[in-house]
Amino acid sequence: MSTTSISVNGKAPDAARGIETQMLPPPSWVDDKPSLRDITDDIARPLEARPGKGWWICFGIAFAALLNLGGMVTYLFAKGIGIWGLNNSVGWAFDITNFVFWVGIGHAGTLISAILLLFRQQWRTSINRSAEAMTIFAVMCAGMFPAIHMGRPWDAFFIFPYFPNQRGPLWVNFRSPLVWDVFAISTYLTISLVFWYLGMIPDLATLRDRATGKIKKFAFRLLSLGWNGSHRTWSRYEIVSLVLAGLATPLVLSVHSIVSMDFATSLLPGWHTTIFPPYFVAGAIYSGFGMVLTLLIITRSTMNLQRYITLRHLDKMAKVTMLTGMIVSYAYLTEFFSAWYGGNLYERYHFINRATGPYAWCFYLMVLCNVVTPQLLWSRKARTSVRFLFIVSIMVNIGMWFERFVIIVVSLHRAFLPSGWGMFYPTIFDIGILVGSFGLFFTCFLLFIRLLPMIAMWEIKGVVGHGAHKMALSSDEDQEEVAVNA
Amino acid sequence: MSDLGKGDQSRGCKSAKDQLVQINGAAAPSYWKSPEELHNGARRTAEFPGGLPSSPTGEETTRRDFLAAMGFTVAAAGLAGCRAPVQNAIPLLVGSDEIIPGVANWYATTCRGCASSCSLLVKQRDGRPIKIEGNAESALFGGGTCATGQATVLSLYDDARLRAPLWQGQPTTWQEIDKRVLASLREAQETKSEIVLLSGSVVSPSVQSIIAEWRNSHPHFRHVEYDPVSFTALRAANELSFGRPVVPHYAFDKARVIVGLEADFLGTWLSPVEFARQYAANRNPEKAPALHIQFESGMSVTGSNADLRVAVPPSQLGLVAVALLRRIAHKAGIAPVAGTQDPLDARKLDAVADELWKYRGESLVVSGVNDRSIQVVLNALNAALGNFGKTIDINKPSLQRSGNDNAMAELVAKMQRGDVHTLLMHGVNPAYDYSEPDKFLDGLGKTALAVSFSDRRDETSSRAHAICPDHHFLEAWGDAEPVDSHFSLLQPLIAPLFETRAMQESLLRWIGHPEADYYKYLREFWRTNIFQRQKEIHDFETFWERSLQSGVVTVPPPAAASIPKFQGDWKAAVDRIQKEAGETRADADKSFELHCYETVPMRDGRHANNPWLQELPDPITKVTWSNYASIAPQTAKKLGVNQGDVIRLTAGTRKLELPAFIQPGQESHTISVALGYGRQQVGRAGNNVGWNAYAFTSMEQGDRRYFTKNIVIEKTGRTEKLGSTQTHFSMEGRPIVLETSMAELRRNAEPGNEPATQPSLWAERLHGEHAWGMAIDMNACTGCSACVVACQAENNVPVVGKDQIERIRIMHWIRIDRYYSGEEEDPVSVHQPMMCQHCQNAPCETVCPVLATTTSSEGLNQQVYNRCIGTRYCANNCPYKVRRFNWYNYTENPKFDFNMESPLGRMVLNPDVAVRSRGVMEKCSLCVQRVQLAKNVALQGKRELADGDIQTACQQACPSQAIVFGDLKDPNSRVSKMQHNQRRYQVLDELGTRPNISYLKKVRNPMETA
Amino acid sequence: MPSSFLVATFTDAEKLLHAVRAVRQENLRIYDVYAPYPIHGLDAAMGVRRTRLPWVTFLVGCCALAFAVTFQFYTTVLDWPLNVGGKPDNSTLAFVPICFELTVLLSGLATVAALFLRARLYPGKKESLFAEGVTNDTFALVLRKREAPFDLHRARKLLQESGADRIREREMEQ
Repeated sequence: MSTTSISVNGKAPDAARGIETQMLPPPSWVDDKPSLRDITDDIARPLEARPGKGWWICFGIAFAALLNLGGMVTYLFAKGIGIWGLNNSVGWAFDITNFVFWVGIGHAGTLISAILLLFRQQWRTSINRSAEAMTIFAVMCAGMFPAIHMGRPWDAFFIFPYFPNQRGPLWVNFRSPLVWDVFAISTYLTISLVFWYLGMIPDLATLRDRATGKIKKFAFRLLSLGWNGSHRTWSRYEIVSLVLAGLATPLVLSVHSIVSMDFATSLLPGWHTTIFPPYFVAGAIYSGFGMVLTLLIITRSTMNLQRYITLRHLDKMAKVTMLTGMIVSYAYLTEFFSAWYGGNLYERYHFINRATGPYAWCFYLMVLCNVVTPQLLWSRKARTSVRFLFIVSIMVNIGMWFERFVIIVVSLHRAFLPSGWGMFYPTIFDIGILVGSFGLFFTCFLLFIRLLPMIAMWEIKGVVGHGAHKMALSSDEDQEEVAVNA
Repeated sequence: MSDLGKGDQSRGCKSAKDQLVQINGAAAPSYWKSPEELHNGARRTAEFPGGLPSSPTGEETTRRDFLAAMGFTVAAAGLAGCRAPVQNAIPLLVGSDEIIPGVANWYATTCRGCASSCSLLVKQRDGRPIKIEGNAESALFGGGTCATGQATVLSLYDDARLRAPLWQGQPTTWQEIDKRVLASLREAQETKSEIVLLSGSVVSPSVQSIIAEWRNSHPHFRHVEYDPVSFTALRAANELSFGRPVVPHYAFDKARVIVGLEADFLGTWLSPVEFARQYAANRNPEKAPALHIQFESGMSVTGSNADLRVAVPPSQLGLVAVALLRRIAHKAGIAPVAGTQDPLDARKLDAVADELWKYRGESLVVSGVNDRSIQVVLNALNAALGNFGKTIDINKPSLQRSGNDNAMAELVAKMQRGDVHTLLMHGVNPAYDYSEPDKFLDGLGKTALAVSFSDRRDETSSRAHAICPDHHFLEAWGDAEPVDSHFSLLQPLIAPLFETRAMQESLLRWIGHPEADYYKYLREFWRTNIFQRQKEIHDFETFWERSLQSGVVTVPPPAAASIPKFQGDWKAAVDRIQKEAGETRADADKSFELHCYETVPMRDGRHANNPWLQELPDPITKVTWSNYASIAPQTAKKLGVNQGDVIRLTAGTRKLELPAFIQPGQESHTISVALGYGRQQVGRAGNNVGWNAYAFTSMEQGDRRYFTKNIVIEKTGRTEKLGSTQTHFSMEGRPIVLETSMAELRRNAEPGNEPATQPSLWAERLHGEHAWGMAIDMNACTGCSACVVACQAENNVPVVGKDQIERIRIMHWIRIDRYYSGEEEDPVSVHQPMMCQHCQNAPCETVCPVLATTTSSEGLNQQVYNRCIGTRYCANNCPYKVRRFNWYNYTENPKFDFNMESPLGRMVLNPDVAVRSRGVMEKCSLCVQRVQLAKNVALQGKRELADGDIQTACQQACPSQAIVFGDLKDPNSRVSKMQHNQRRYQVLDELGTRPNISYLKKVRNPMETA
Repeated sequence: MPSSFLVATFTDAEKLLHAVRAVRQENLRIYDVYAPYPIHGLDAAMGVRRTRLPWVTFLVGCCALAFAVTFQFYTTVLDWPLNVGGKPDNSTLAFVPICFELTVLLSGLATVAALFLRARLYPGKKESLFAEGVTNDTFALVLRKREAPFDLHRARKLLQESGADRIREREMEQ
């Protein structure tokens, strides 16, 4: 009868189940085959044990940065955005750079949980939960910037179409990419949240049944919606998560495409180009995976989850990073080529200025991080050396921040009329608020790994639980994995 | 422009109500477009539902009425404590002085910003003068003004003005002051010691007659006139040459060839508004444009407009004059001129001489160098060319400058000897701008009584015994005669804000004049003098009212005298010049010359506390809030000096340390430093802005010399930021300012050659009654920047200060871009006024998320401040970078302590224009408030808008009439006609923005020099 | 009213599957199966019909799309048309991104909401667990007595054979 289910809706639902009769991946995604109980214990332990010193130190730093953010934003609202380094020539700089940077970070999570799910990539199970969490926190950081970058943030609600509308029938401008952004970002955040929470319900139930404390019990009962593992619910549950994955996949592609249209639809040399959407999406995934690597490399060791987040996971992510990194590099080349080949006076000057102007150092830093670094990942040694991968992931983050800085500031500071040219120099508030956004991000993430299961227990159980004895044919890739393992 | 006498509606120089009266009086023609309109009157569009708040056709009270009334109350409160409104202040055309809340009155008066005494129309709103405009009635100045004139209205509301007279620095009463002064005068009488009135050039005939009365009543009275930037040599030279110590009246519009030697006649020299107007009219490429050659050391506004500009060090300018004279003398066959040396490429001089000779009688050679030898040589030159009586009028001379350096020097010597008993000072500040201030102050200390009429405690008045603050000219009665038999009147626009008293009234009191009422005296003076000299009007009352209304009176000159014969000794002058030049030439290479000049914003420094002028970018360097040492690029390279490096200039004991500014076109051995900066006591805005260079002027051969030789330059190692509003001066080969040549112009002169506009992707959308547009003639624009200040005054543009400007946050709605082309040593410059281009396909509008900027049905790109949330996306997407963002709250903000911070300074604000809050975008609105007013007035008058009814502030202020605003839907409007000019183009129109603002190409008419 | 159940717990999903099949062969109706993770092939074994929830997604998606199109058209073209950059009032292409986003948002939310309704999941609901550790490592097969009355002993035997490690009867509120 399983065949009927296949014939009806393809192999997807089986894939969702994380195991497959025909194409069964080896159990090698989790080391030394733990029992179901072990899995529960391993993953639930950090939530029940007292946080270690390392966690407190990290949290301290992150929270300090968060407080700094609060302070600086308050001052910003009090004084006006004049406290930033912006000017008549450069109307956007750190603010929108940070926005695009964080939105980009936010792309890995949904990609891993939705697209890899559709592609039946087993290895996602160990990392999707934390990746999704990262997505949500990153999008929160991103969403903050458009709000605070406004001259009159207290009027930010003007940007939503609402009714009744005190200002007569005055709506918003649906032609403006900024309005598209509002819809794209809020949709992305909502759907990601729902997807994340939905995936967590069974694990919340598990924790509820383990919980000893009254409060914990109450909280988890509240959140787990009375889940009792009924298989009738399971079967609906899986279809729904599959549907959500189907919706989230085009969504994740659309979000950064729309963000890129902020620039692509304008007429500024360096912004006005059609390759932005794919180029930005690739960049987003690139930076997202960079950040996932950074986070997982830290957490797997501090929370000793090496058993579930194996070297092979890191290797996979390194490969995705390398691929997207090369797409980005290709986009850089294309930009320069079309600037030269298009023969547009202003376009040409912009790219010469990008490579030789006062901000050239940003450009070369970007090239170093986004073009050169990924090439090192050709070597398997590099891909499986945790230390090296960590450094790479940091470089990726730096490189992608500077990519956005170059696109935004270098395009603005020397536009059409030379009389309007000028330089942008960041102030302490530009930098402080950037640091602060990292504070917000890491505070949320550190709390997450303390309070919620950072690995989807039920999915791991699905992979490990049974089928160990059902070793079926496995793809060449999996051979390779084994080889890595050996 | 238009003739007010005939009740023409086209100028705004009267209250809208008066206009209505006129029109309802069936003065206006009543055309009709449709039968309905004929029967029901002009159609009301949604544009102006309520009509004017004060429309006499008593409609129900609207919200605007209420606000207007409130505004009036506030203004009235502001005026509380002032005396009752002055009687007999008569608005133009109608003898009604009532103030209608919310409706402006326009009064004619005369500018006292400098001695040029341009005729003005001042807009008075709810009892406050708030905007200054030129008086189109004036035969001399036309409707234009200069930047300084535009800014003087702000000086009226200057916090630094004295509230009451001071005695020994303590506030006192006028009775007290009068007692002491009279006592001192009596003492002087008895001791037969000298009483001196030290004043700037006196352009007022009535004041001159008062001074005459002083001469009669006090035998030991002397009157000394002193100008910090002096014309003594010119007057002296004319005395030597023709026996007439006068400044002649020049006619740049009659000359086919204009040669200037260090005379910035378009920017600062003598009467720039008048000259700019003549010059522009005379350079129209559609006619035969005059050729302009300029010899100067530093780059001036005038030099930047010249067809041929030759950089010559100040010490060598005399040789240029001699070299030209030599060539002309040769051609004219007069006695040969000694010597053969040429200060520069002889071929250039030959070419110039040829042109001069070719157009002899239609040429004009002027020089601002205050050296009588040079002026005598130039007189000889002009005489040889037969220019006197043609382009130079010495029979009806200019009376705008009458300062005398010798007299001043003698006075200072006398004072130091203690021979001056009582010293009265008006409109002078020698402690700041005299070449040896300490000598003057020493002398000042030796006087028994020193009285200053200064309106503030400045460097000089603070050292005087008494300060008797004079009115601001907008509070005062007065008259002026800038050019012989061209008279104009001053009338008060507002009751004096403080306990000030007219200087004339004080003078009258102190000689015990029967009735010390200057207004009566003035009327009497005009009855007995000016009234007599004219024929048309036989009744004085009518004459007086007519004169007050139109502000200007031109009387037939006394019997036209014959053109005097040149009898100067030019040979001696030539020898002196050559001798001195020879000395300098010897050590030319080691040492430098320091050349002091006036800038358009700061002039001689008397308006240093005016933030509008401090923030006005210099037309050439675009630097604000400071002066600097302009140094040639090649010299800077040689000395290893970079932009902003502070350099020390030393000449003997005199030192000056200020930042270097690398100025293309600067003469390589000359450092130019602007005068007028470095005031110590002038007020919050002006104190310690820049450095005082007057110490580098000196007395040579009885004339004040404005350059110093043998300057040594050292680097101090310090650097100083320069608040420049434009940092990149090359066009990078982009089609921004298009140029053409006379040849090309003639080639495709025939119609049908006007360039086509870019097609639009979308259907035409302007379905309003009008389509507002503007055309700017790049050939007429001299870069004088009057429009910038006019716009600031009209549109309540905030002053942001040096720090913000260093951060590229200037708020000006209109800027003048200045680009160089050619090589650094000898660049070709061009000025381009740049403001919102009001694109029909505006890139800024598409990207605004909240519809805060849209195109009106009449083609105006409008900004809705209340809706703007400040994403700045529009500014990023504007290819012209003309949008301005309020980075802070610039009003009522202690951080920006300029005029908008103080209640007094805020009185200058225009109630018709919103003061923008923090965080919103703003930009040029094409003076939409003026458009609406004109439309309302036309509607009330049941008539169609006529071309020229609406003038934007920038257009109105422009002395060279480079800017034209109008309706593009009306094929006969001036702007539509200019749209079809073959020189017409639009900036960056290849982007498909379809601006409503067009430019006319700059025409290059380079002079062939072998 | 409480009804009584027969609850068999397993430690291995395979055994559970066998048991389910066996019980079904006896034409006994299975009340439900409880497991810590979704077991493949169980739908078929239990004869659970595939859920119709995706239809919700589709229908809501269509409505959302229609709403997005009409809303943008109404506000921009009908309610207050403004001249924005000279572009036509109905700049259809510019409306596409928001149409897409709204469709995804509303249909996604509706689907999840529908799941919660159908599966009767709501915050703070008191869970009903038939056996210890069904959310951890235990699998439970539950038969309901009231349905098609069956021979208790045969059933116990059947489950025993198919490898249940514990079988007991429970009274539960359902």
